[in-house]
Amino acid sequence: MIFNIVIFPGIFYVLLWTVALFWFFRKFIAALHKRVGPSFNGPAGSYQTLFDLSKLLTKESITPDGVNPYLFSIMPILAATIAMLPTAFIPWTQTITVVQSEYALLALVVLIGIEPFLLFLTGFGSNNKYSFLGGIRVLTQMISMETSFFLSALSPALLFGTLNLNAIVEQSSWLSFLILLPAFILYFIALLGLLDQPPFNIPDAEQEIVYGFYTEYSGTNYFLLKLAEFSEFMAVFAGAATLFLGGYKGLFFDGFIFLFIKMLLIAMFMMVIRASTPRITMKQMLHFSWSYLVPLSLLNVAWIMLAKIYLLGSLS
Amino acid sequence: MQSLYALLQMYETEYIEDYKKSWKKVKLSNAEDLLKVAKALKANGLKTIATVSPTDFLEKNIIEMNYFFEDLISKRNCWLKCDISRELDKCEIESITPLFKGANWHEREAYSMFGVKFLHHPDLRPIIISQDFYGKAPFRKDFDWDAHEANTLQNIQTIVDAFKTEENENDKGIDAESSETVLNWGPTHPASGPIRLKVHCDGEDVISIDPDIGFVWRALEHLVTKKDFIGAIVAVERLCFMDNINSMIAYAQAVEEIAGTEITEFAKWMRVLLGEVSRISSHAMGMGGFYNALGLHTVAMWNMDMREFFLDFLESYSGARIATAAIEAGGVRYGLQENMLEELQLALDKFDATKDDMRAIFVKNPTMKMRAAKQGIITAQEVEEYSLCGVVARASGVKVDVRLDEPYAAYDKINMDYVTQKTGSANDRLVNLFEELEQSVDIIKQAKKHIEECIKSGKFNPTKDHMVKVPKKLPAGEAISRVEWSRGEVLMHLVTQEKATSPYRLKMKAPSFNHTMMLDKLLKGQTLSDIPLIFGSLYICQGDLDR
Amino acid sequence: MLKIYDFFAHAKSESLWMAHFCTGCCSLEMAAAMGPRYDWERYGYLPTPTPRQADLLIITGLVTKKILPALLRTYAQMPEPKYVLALGACSFDGGPYNDSLAVIKNPTEILPADVFVAGCPPRPEAIIAGLEEIKEKMKQGIPSAASQGGLYKEMEF
Repeated sequence: MIFNIVIFPGIFYVLLWTVALFWFFRKFIAALHKRVGPSFNGPAGSYQTLFDLSKLLTKESITPDGVNPYLFSIMPILAATIAMLPTAFIPWTQTITVVQSEYALLALVVLIGIEPFLLFLTGFGSNNKYSFLGGIRVLTQMISMETSFFLSALSPALLFGTLNLNAIVEQSSWLSFLILLPAFILYFIALLGLLDQPPFNIPDAEQEIVYGFYTEYSGTNYFLLKLAEFSEFMAVFAGAATLFLGGYKGLFFDGFIFLFIKMLLIAMFMMVIRASTPRITMKQMLHFSWSYLVPLSLLNVAWIMLAKIYLLGSLS
Repeated sequence: MQSLYALLQMYETEYIEDYKKSWKKVKLSNAEDLLKVAKALKANGLKTIATVSPTDFLEKNIIEMNYFFEDLISKRNCWLKCDISRELDKCEIESITPLFKGANWHEREAYSMFGVKFLHHPDLRPIIISQDFYGKAPFRKDFDWDAHEANTLQNIQTIVDAFKTEENENDKGIDAESSETVLNWGPTHPASGPIRLKVHCDGEDVISIDPDIGFVWRALEHLVTKKDFIGAIVAVERLCFMDNINSMIAYAQAVEEIAGTEITEFAKWMRVLLGEVSRISSHAMGMGGFYNALGLHTVAMWNMDMREFFLDFLESYSGARIATAAIEAGGVRYGLQENMLEELQLALDKFDATKDDMRAIFVKNPTMKMRAAKQGIITAQEVEEYSLCGVVARASGVKVDVRLDEPYAAYDKINMDYVTQKTGSANDRLVNLFEELEQSVDIIKQAKKHIEECIKSGKFNPTKDHMVKVPKKLPAGEAISRVEWSRGEVLMHLVTQEKATSPYRLKMKAPSFNHTMMLDKLLKGQTLSDIPLIFGSLYICQGDLDR
Repeated sequence: MLKIYDFFAHAKSESLWMAHFCTGCCSLEMAAAMGPRYDWERYGYLPTPTPRQADLLIITGLVTKKILPALLRTYAQMPEPKYVLALGACSFDGGPYNDSLAVIKNPTEILPADVFVAGCPPRPEAIIAGLEEIKEKMKQGIPSAASQGGLYKEMEF
């Protein structure tokens, strides 16, 4: 258990993932930009993000005038902790699942879904107009994106009749992948919204509201928020891989490596969208979400039911 | 043209002259007639005013006002002059802003720089100048700069105090019950550059916008008067570094006109070539900036990649990437060596290689269309009213391009046409920008081909033909010169005194000034998300906004 | 213990994030330094949207009187340790704008800079070289020039 908390899939693993994914994002987006990205610190610049994040730990953490100091400094810690928790429920290999629960899927979805609310509070507690606007935007986006996120994330449960993530992975097959493909696409779109990625990077839109809820944070607090962001990435990518792409199941043998590759593929796809799509506005996001995404999610639920009856032939 | 002459004859004038091909130069005897003449001109179709430029004649004890009226449709222009008194309390003239909305900020500028009071102006506040110059008329010839400069720190304190007062007023003036607030969008903002938009907003909705400009005010128009005619190029090219060659061309043309010099054919073609290279480097940045405003950095990077090759050509030609100082009165500064055009060919190949990807992925991007196709619409009528120009005007379907309207350099021998769009939305401005990039490349290809042929046939001598001598001392005179800059029409009004070694007055009309004026109108009632989009689409550079 | 301290000091010098603030024309060459050909991200430099996360303030060329308070305020908002890089002739002595009404001739007397980069505007390579010099200063443990003095300490902004 202590091994699980400290090393894998606990704190050390999350830190390593943050450093590695941050580096990977920078390298990959640089390649799309026709640049090189970090290259002189370590092999292919792989120490760069390690230095970046270590630096943040030792920088001054400013608490601006007029904020509630407790709210201001507790929120990053809370956000980072809660963002790390979903890792406990994900089946990383056949044997490693920290919390074996019949209701793991529910826990996963709720823990992912609560994160934007914490980010809203970070913005709310910053005593800055831009931060506050960012917080409000997070909340709006959360409300409009989470409906379809929940509906699409729960459709495997509907199909397999279980909320246990291990059981979902065990039962998944090529046929179930095809049946769940619409749900996966909807999940992916909602994921972009939940993670504030383009074209839904409205809450931390640099060009509009400086940096949204991040604006006033510096030093260690900013490090924690970054950690929260990347842990959130991990939870959501691992959730997608587990729910729709067969988790740790591989081509010739099963293992953690396949889960990791699937997560990286999702990350890469997200980056390609980042490099080719401009940001849309709040109104367009709301319009898109409530008049297309949510109805389609409901249709998807109907499709899962029909598929279950006619393709799998049972309604148990 | 005749009807304009008849119209002007009805008023008391000192003279009516033909100037260049399309201009009428008029001097009114009484400044009181101005409003009547302006009204008549507007009724006659000259709906646009390029700029208002006062010239301070210390010895004659007058301030001469210059108004440049333009007709964008039939290309008739009128240069109206009148004298007013120089004494500060009598220095006033009727404002034409009620008739020509585009004159608004230009009159405010004249008020700030020269202390000319415009009667019945709706909003006569100082603009551009910093708070320590308020009420001091810094551009007048008798302004004592050294005395003002003696206590710099105190002057800065004035600015700081003014900002703090404003901040407090904002906090006080707003009703605690309402959710209305004032956001300072800039000058330390990721997308703004050195400009401050005071955004009055209610949550996400913008109520009104008041641009506060002058953060990079370098007083260039004053600076050139302290330099000689060649040294002034340094100031003129810093109008905006994104496209510096074309602004130098405008200045050089004005000097040549006063000196009566005719430049060589080779120099004319070189000006076309260099000007278009500079235009491309500016458009590439502008297009990148447009997408940057929407959080998409790839276009800026790809364009920067392409732009570097064009800068390579400028570097091999002049030795500098950006601050080339390559255009001088009398021609172009340097001759053309053999391998330089090969360098240019590399750049053209690079552009052609990325062009198709660019169009397919980014210019036709459906998300971009969804975002921008209905935003920031400027109608053709508004273009005339606010005297917009360049890409912004052409995107609204107005056929205006100085390269065609009043060809300079060798543009009369180039095969080109107006690049226009229909609706004038932000997306149209973007598409227009991209199509103009292609047009510029086309022009470069034509010019390059012609230069190569003429060098081969011995018509041009590329190492000797580039310059003719221009005297160091110029006669008294004045000239205006227009060029199509990357952002639109630049109009330079140069005044010289007898045996002068430096300009007496240089007025630079730059397009961003008018475009920024539009911001409030375009953004009223929109949301915060539209600010960077519309700001980016207007292709504003703070360099030529503040000068 | 010493090793850990060294690591963090090294990390600090190797990861310079800069506040986004344009005051003049040199920002154009700064953009080129970010671009594909010069790509300063190779060395680990990164622009940040807010001064709160920045380690370095770049004075990009001229500083007018009007923008100075904003510049100083941006500097004040940055967390310690913070360094200043001055680009171009203008930030040294006013450069081509030495005779201008509105430009401060010696902004670095008010906000002292650690490294000057010559040129008008300096080439992207020169900008990167200047940044590398700041790295060297940080590695040697030299405190930033602005922390040692400067007129800005006597001003209220």
